[in-house]
Amino acid sequence: MMEEEKLKIGVVSCSGEDCAGGTISRLATRKMMDELRPDNTVTICLPLFLAGGQEERMFAKECPTIAVDGCDKACAKRATEKYSGKVSSGILVSDLIGSAAAEKPALSTRDITTEHQVMVDQVAAEITRQFDEIMAKNCQEQSKSSSTCSCRGNCDC
Amino acid sequence: MSKKYAVLPCNGLDKCAGQMAKEIALLACEKTGSELICPVFYRVADARYDKIAKENPLLVVDGCQTRCASKLAAEKGLKIYRKMTVTEQAQKHGLQLAVEPLRLWKEELALCAELADKLVKEEETPQDSATAVEYPMPHDYIIHTKDKFSFRIPPEGFYFTENDCWVQSLGNRARIGVTDYVQQSLSDIMFFTPPVVGTEIEQFGEAGTIESGKAVFELVCPVSGKVTAVNTELLTAPERINENPYERGWIAELELTQFDEEQDFLLNVEEYLNILKKKVAEFHVNKR
Repeated sequence: MMEEEKLKIGVVSCSGEDCAGGTISRLATRKMMDELRPDNTVTICLPLFLAGGQEERMFAKECPTIAVDGCDKACAKRATEKYSGKVSSGILVSDLIGSAAAEKPALSTRDITTEHQVMVDQVAAEITRQFDEIMAKNCQEQSKSSSTCSCRGNCDC
Repeated sequence: MSKKYAVLPCNGLDKCAGQMAKEIALLACEKTGSELICPVFYRVADARYDKIAKENPLLVVDGCQTRCASKLAAEKGLKIYRKMTVTEQAQKHGLQLAVEPLRLWKEELALCAELADKLVKEEETPQDSATAVEYPMPHDYIIHTKDKFSFRIPPEGFYFTENDCWVQSLGNRARIGVTDYVQQSLSDIMFFTPPVVGTEIEQFGEAGTIESGKAVFELVCPVSGKVTAVNTELLTAPERINENPYERGWIAELELTQFDEEQDFLLNVEEYLNILKKKVAEFHVNKR
């Protein structure tokens, strides 16, 4: 019997060299992958995606994606939609932590303060909320067409 | 006041090496007051970084062998002043990079600091002792043509390896370089890493690398010897290799140690021409 694949959601983070919001995006995305939803999160390497990485582009075409952008230039969202199709959801870090904080110069991980960590947690919580919504929606659609759900207990179905 | 650069890291998110590339770039900028280029935003919008990248010496930090930052520099037509690849450097320093989690720990951060220092350190140009005698330049070339592609080979005075490198000897000295096939396969060469002057290289050992947006080519030294000079013109104008790899595009000069014995392992013009024809047939198929 074939094992059913778990639904994977791609979190496409801004690469973050232009502002601190980018660093917050990266750290929040990493938190999703390492701690919050490790089994269902896939990160997409944005520089590779832009350089023509076919695996990344195919994944983003076939699976739901959440774009996490540091500022309103929205590089992650724009790039994903240009090469792979519409994102399922988008987060603008500057909306969550404020433009003044997001638009400060790029941050090194050596200089992360408690205040930055709070911002990371705040953004990660919003990614998780949107992540779970997408997962639940997918489960509802799946349960309409089959008796099994691919989330394996990650939703309320 | 230290020299100011434009620093272009790969910034990859899904590997530890990409995280390190970002850290190295930030440290290099802090140390020198240089400008950081965001590889993602640079692709999305040229205007912000074009001037910075063209007016300052460009330092490129790639995380892995995918070389996204180098490829971006090639696409933008930028000349790379200096570059490093984190995975290669980690290997040289005996550091095993974690696959996951991606967090940088003490060891990785210490290496980032060391590599950032190395990246911005200005070393003196290697002291050459190039021979005063002029190497005879080929008067004409054997040209092998296949459809729109033409490949040159000097008709005499050169020996070759199967890996498309050449040697031209003159007494107990020799020049080495790559063949026309290599430069055409790589297309626009954008970076040259020379062998170190004074080092001893064995026959078929590595003698520097050349790099284009497509690939990195490791030069296989056709002969054993001590490196006495490198073609420093290539450091600022690697395109000389594209113009003519047998003349101004030579790579290095060596003091030969056992050329008589080693000639048996090299190819003469006819032998190399036969190999070239086979390679060109495949090259041609791949190019169609």
